[in-house]
Amino acid sequence: PCTRQVRSYYVDWRMLRDVKRRKLAYEYADERLRINAIRKNAILPKELQEVADKEIAELPRDSCPVRIRNRCVLTSRPRGVKRRWRLSRIVFRHFADHAQMSGIQRAMW
Amino acid sequence: STSSLLSAEKDESTASKDSATKVASKSQEGTAETPKQKLLDIIGNMKVEVSYRSKLQQLKTREMKKQATNELEGPESEGSMLRKTTGDTQRGRPLNPELVEAASAVASSLPLNKKQTESELLAQLRRHEETTDKQKKGGTINIRNVISEMAVKRQSPAQRAVRISNRISLELDEDGQRIRPRRLSPQSLESRRYFLSFFFFVYRSLKVGKRLNIFTKASTETEETLKTVSSPTIWDVELSKEIAAVTAQPPRNGFEEMIQWTKEGILWEFPIDNEVGMEDDAEFHEHIFLEKHLEPFPKQGPIRHFMELVICGLSKNPYLSVKQKVEHIEWFQKYFEEKKELLQEI
Repeated sequence: PCTRQVRSYYVDWRMLRDVKRRKLAYEYADERLRINAIRKNAILPKELQEVADKEIAELPRDSCPVRIRNRCVLTSRPRGVKRRWRLSRIVFRHFADHAQMSGIQRAMW
Repeated sequence: STSSLLSAEKDESTASKDSATKVASKSQEGTAETPKQKLLDIIGNMKVEVSYRSKLQQLKTREMKKQATNELEGPESEGSMLRKTTGDTQRGRPLNPELVEAASAVASSLPLNKKQTESELLAQLRRHEETTDKQKKGGTINIRNVISEMAVKRQSPAQRAVRISNRISLELDEDGQRIRPRRLSPQSLESRRYFLSFFFFVYRSLKVGKRLNIFTKASTETEETLKTVSSPTIWDVELSKEIAAVTAQPPRNGFEEMIQWTKEGILWEFPIDNEVGMEDDAEFHEHIFLEKHLEPFPKQGPIRHFMELVICGLSKNPYLSVKQKVEHIEWFQKYFEEKKELLQEI
């Protein structure tokens, strides 16, 4: 018997898409790095760089890391997400007030 | 003396190969030299003799053994032959005839009671053979090893509960007081010791002595073959999972909870090892000096310049393993080979 909240689904479809993007970006990370190394070059001939440009455009669109959005892990909120906790500000406040965030205290000075 | 023999066996088994070759050469020399020299060698190297014999046993098959039995009827002293025949009837395998000859020659050379020494030597040889047989089959049992390998027995919580319930009896006496289980601590300890010593004696004595050969060993082989075929059946896996789930009790205290977490991988192992999961067996020079991977590339031109920069960057990268770096370079190699036609147009 698990006392914590059990989540077997992603919060919404946008989160699912974000997950797919992350997976693809992980898979194609090496290739993208290498093709970009050929492109952003002053040494190699320009024709080769143009060919590399075309090649990187052929890769799936979801494989680029720029498309990843750091959503809140619990609510899938795209904005107001603190990177350290991967939580949106509302959820963070909720947990902090219930003393469920380790080392977090209400600021007072 | 048997324990010393056993310990000698253990030492030899590690260095058997080296000593076997030594003794083989020595024995060959011995037959050429006078028998006295040979005997002295054999006396001096009684330890090494055992490994030589074991090696001989490995090399020679049963046919050789039969030849040895035929050889026994050759010209030899009557006393030794009689003893040999008695030895044969006692043991399943006759002793190596050369060694028996050596034993007889040694006995004759020594000034003491010749027949007695010869019989003693033969008895020792037989004991050596016995121990080598045992080693070949399954390994001798040394009580020391048994005790060293004995770990503290962990009681499962069910057993613990049973013992606790045994301690606290719910029966009531005539007076209305609970019957306490008697705790004769000194007696119980001694009895435990006796039990342990008896246990070891029985454990040891079960394997000592001649085998009766009532039960054949063919069944074990078939078991092994069956096991190799059907080892990863789903039902076995399921059964093991069931057993684990049934025996897994919830943790009684914080320590057990932490142990469980460590097993699952949630908690790190203390003292913290910064290199957990990182098994980089490569030396530093394999990380830095990557020029040997640059051989398939042309030596002049912009590609070489580019690849040298790549290698410079990789050598400074502490996060990749050597394999990954090599893969990186190989990818570039493949890429440039595919674009060779294009490059040649330029």
